[in-house]
Amino acid sequence: MQGTLDMMILRTLQWGPQHGHGIGVAIRASSEDVLQVEHGSLYPALHRLHKEGWIESEWRLSEHNQRARFYRLTAKGRRRLVAEESRWNRMVEAIRRVMRPAED
Amino acid sequence: MKFFDWASRRARSDRELEEEMRFHLNAETRLREDRGEPPEVARRNARRDFGNYVAVEEATRDMWGWNWLERAVQDVRLALRMLRKNPTFTALALAALALGIGGTTAMFSIVDSVLLKPLPFPHPSRLAMIWELPPHSSHHNVVQTQNFLDWRARNRSFEDVAAMFQFPFNLDESGEPVQLPGLRVTAGFFQILGTRPLLGRTIELQDDVPDTPWVAVLSYELWQRSFGGRRNIIGEKIAGPGNPFEVIGVMPPGFGVPAVPRVDVYIPMRIRPAEAVQDGRNYKVIARLRPGVSLAAAQQDMESISAQTADERPDIDALWSATVVPLMEQTVGDTRTILLVLLGAVFFVLLIACANVSNLLLMRASARRHEISVRIALGAGRWRLLHQLLTESLLLAGAGGSLGFLLAWVGVPALLHILPANFPLPRIAEIRVDGGVLVFSMLLSCACALIFGAFPALQLDRARVGEGLRQGGRPGSATNRRVHGTLVVTEVAMAMLLVVGAGLMLRSFMLLDAVNPGFRPERLLTFRMVLVPSDWKTFDELLAQRATLVAQMLKRIRTLPQVTSASSISFLPLSGSQSGSGYYRADRPAPRPGMLSGGDVSVVSDGYFRTMGIPILAGREFTEYDRAAPEVAILNETAARKNFPGENPVGKRMRVDWTGPAEVEIVGVAADTHHGSMDTAPDPCLFLPQSQRPAGWASLVVRIADDRGVIEAVKQQMHAVAPHQGIEEVQTMDSVLNDSLARPHLDAVIFAVFGGIALILACVGIYAVVSYSVAQRTREMGIRLALGATPTSILRHVLREGLVLCGGGIIIGLAAAAALTRYLASLLYAISPMDPLVCMGVTLLLGACGLAGCYFPARHATRVDPAAVLHEQ
Repeated sequence: MQGTLDMMILRTLQWGPQHGHGIGVAIRASSEDVLQVEHGSLYPALHRLHKEGWIESEWRLSEHNQRARFYRLTAKGRRRLVAEESRWNRMVEAIRRVMRPAED
Repeated sequence: MKFFDWASRRARSDRELEEEMRFHLNAETRLREDRGEPPEVARRNARRDFGNYVAVEEATRDMWGWNWLERAVQDVRLALRMLRKNPTFTALALAALALGIGGTTAMFSIVDSVLLKPLPFPHPSRLAMIWELPPHSSHHNVVQTQNFLDWRARNRSFEDVAAMFQFPFNLDESGEPVQLPGLRVTAGFFQILGTRPLLGRTIELQDDVPDTPWVAVLSYELWQRSFGGRRNIIGEKIAGPGNPFEVIGVMPPGFGVPAVPRVDVYIPMRIRPAEAVQDGRNYKVIARLRPGVSLAAAQQDMESISAQTADERPDIDALWSATVVPLMEQTVGDTRTILLVLLGAVFFVLLIACANVSNLLLMRASARRHEISVRIALGAGRWRLLHQLLTESLLLAGAGGSLGFLLAWVGVPALLHILPANFPLPRIAEIRVDGGVLVFSMLLSCACALIFGAFPALQLDRARVGEGLRQGGRPGSATNRRVHGTLVVTEVAMAMLLVVGAGLMLRSFMLLDAVNPGFRPERLLTFRMVLVPSDWKTFDELLAQRATLVAQMLKRIRTLPQVTSASSISFLPLSGSQSGSGYYRADRPAPRPGMLSGGDVSVVSDGYFRTMGIPILAGREFTEYDRAAPEVAILNETAARKNFPGENPVGKRMRVDWTGPAEVEIVGVAADTHHGSMDTAPDPCLFLPQSQRPAGWASLVVRIADDRGVIEAVKQQMHAVAPHQGIEEVQTMDSVLNDSLARPHLDAVIFAVFGGIALILACVGIYAVVSYSVAQRTREMGIRLALGATPTSILRHVLREGLVLCGGGIIIGLAAAAALTRYLASLLYAISPMDPLVCMGVTLLLGACGLAGCYFPARHATRVDPAAVLHEQ
């Protein structure tokens, strides 16, 4: 779903700067491998978010002393994440109501 | 600068993306190794999880966003890749375009320089020439001296009017004497043109007075050639005809009156007003209109002055009028027609080239149809695809156009270089392939790109995604074939039109070339000159000298072992000059003033007709005994028929106005010769003997048995008689004849080249389309063969398809030729613009070419292996 990957990236970056591989590993781990994203597809998304100004990047050394590009959430990105999450929650709520109307 | 900033930023982004992705793969591999996967497996799995590396790279780049420039660069790259992938296609298209654009550019540069650019003088539109009009005729006649004086004194339309008279200037400076093209001009000539001299001054009022020291103005070219470009030449005396001439000025390079042949020396005219009325008609007249005076007003002015002079001097001017012709029109004259026709012809060549390229592009486009459908399905915008197709067209046209411009840039000067110096094309020295022409050829290339890029782009609109995908890369629909067919028919039709034009020009030239000039030009040498008498007091003395000079030269020359016979004539046939006079039967009353009688007059030495190989039909020719009375003359056949219809003129008497009326006895009738031009009927001509009526112009004609050292030997004999006598030009009569046909010859050759290119392009077009159609239908052919069709029937089937296209083109081309060749009518000699022989010949030629174009692909079709084809499916 368009925007889902964006949200997951932004959410991952909430815990601090991370490089592309790290983000991919985090998404896999937190979804307990349910969401099988092709790792490559992270990059177009990362670069799009970067262009929108929601994340920024810098080159730093990784935990294994290799040069890596670390992404970090910007203030704008934080606002965006809040908006995305509330939109997401509304949608999940709506879907839940449709799926289980009896509980209401 | 911006572009470089952008480019370096782009390069860095590319590098960083690469590094980022590599890091990802390394990190993933390490992670998997830590989990215990063997290194090989870890690396493979990392790659697998990552997905398509290149696609990711592309997709990520797309996220950066593209500006128009980046898109353009991308399109150009793609286009270059496509062009490189099909070298045959690219080479064919480039060759066709280079020929088409190059030819059009070359013709345009000539049209631009000759027809479009204003003449190189200040306010050139106010320059005009004025001619006399003979009674009931629109022939532009040179002007009588007194008439010129009256025009100059009485007109109210012109700032000034000047007379010009061409004559060879005898220069005996150093070594061998020469005769240079000279022009006598009245004061005001240079002021009318408005060109400032490079050095010194030009001819002014005080120079144009009889019995004062002679002055001369030199051309830049003569100054450089014969005087080493010395600046101190001004004030020096040069050895002119009979007198020293003081050099007063040098004109800038390239100066000249456009309607007059090249001139090296300008000297003053020096009309004696008292004698002007007795002069003949000799002068060309140039004038500058007053500002604000229209051509029509000037024409009216001249007509009323002519009416006055006709009243005042009915004996010479009755019913004569005058006409004012703008100098530009005078210069360009009938050259306009042929230049525009040739430009039109080469433009058709270009259109054929465009049709060819368009066809090739279309074939490729349909071959790429599947690819394009896939790209549309994947979301590529139609605009984007259109852009890409147009980029490819523009790239092709740009490259073809550059090659074409180079072709013109090298070709035009090369062509001009091989033309003889006196080639009769006006403003030939001004022809340049310059910046303006470059702009033209670039615009032309863009226009071509739009023309041949349009069809594939329109096809794009039809490329319905589903259909393209369903066909599974098997292109070639009925619509496609219809478009190809239309293009080929158009191509063949245009080629037909051009080849008919070329055929007409060639046949016309061949007929002209086969015209019998009336004399035998082979082994005939000509020495063109005007006589330079040394010392004379009275006019009679001058005449006597002219007669003896020529007689003595001929006597010596005839003794040379290499020479069979020798004689002289005032103006060589086909050299562009002739004199005329009134003459009429002595036994009839003189014709009323204004009634034109007579015609050409040539003054020849004894033995002229024998030397030239002109048959004498009745009576005899001049001999060395025709000296004292009786005065004799010879008529050509036309003059004899005109003046003595049904009678034998020999022994009859005529009166000749030549210089005051005199009676002559006709002693012979000679066969007609072409004197003025090969393409007009011979004019009536009366021949007078040099011994009795000596002319100042006398070119020697020498028939030779042996050409070794003959020119030197003849010159030696001439100089023994007249040491200061220069020669204007030594030429064989064959080359005089060829020079007179040089223009129609070149016109026909250029047209034939265009026609040939058109024919080749059309053949390539037919060949390509039929081959393509066969290739598309390999499966159909295979099935037909499998079902029992014989190779012959397949051959017939394919041939029929090609020949239908070809035949359609030929019929349309013939119809177009019927509509358009009438513009050629004025250029054709002795044939009509729809000459049946040419039309039939060209139809057969094109039919044969079409057949050849179809035959090879058709034969290919019969060799399809049905088993292989069916297996493939």
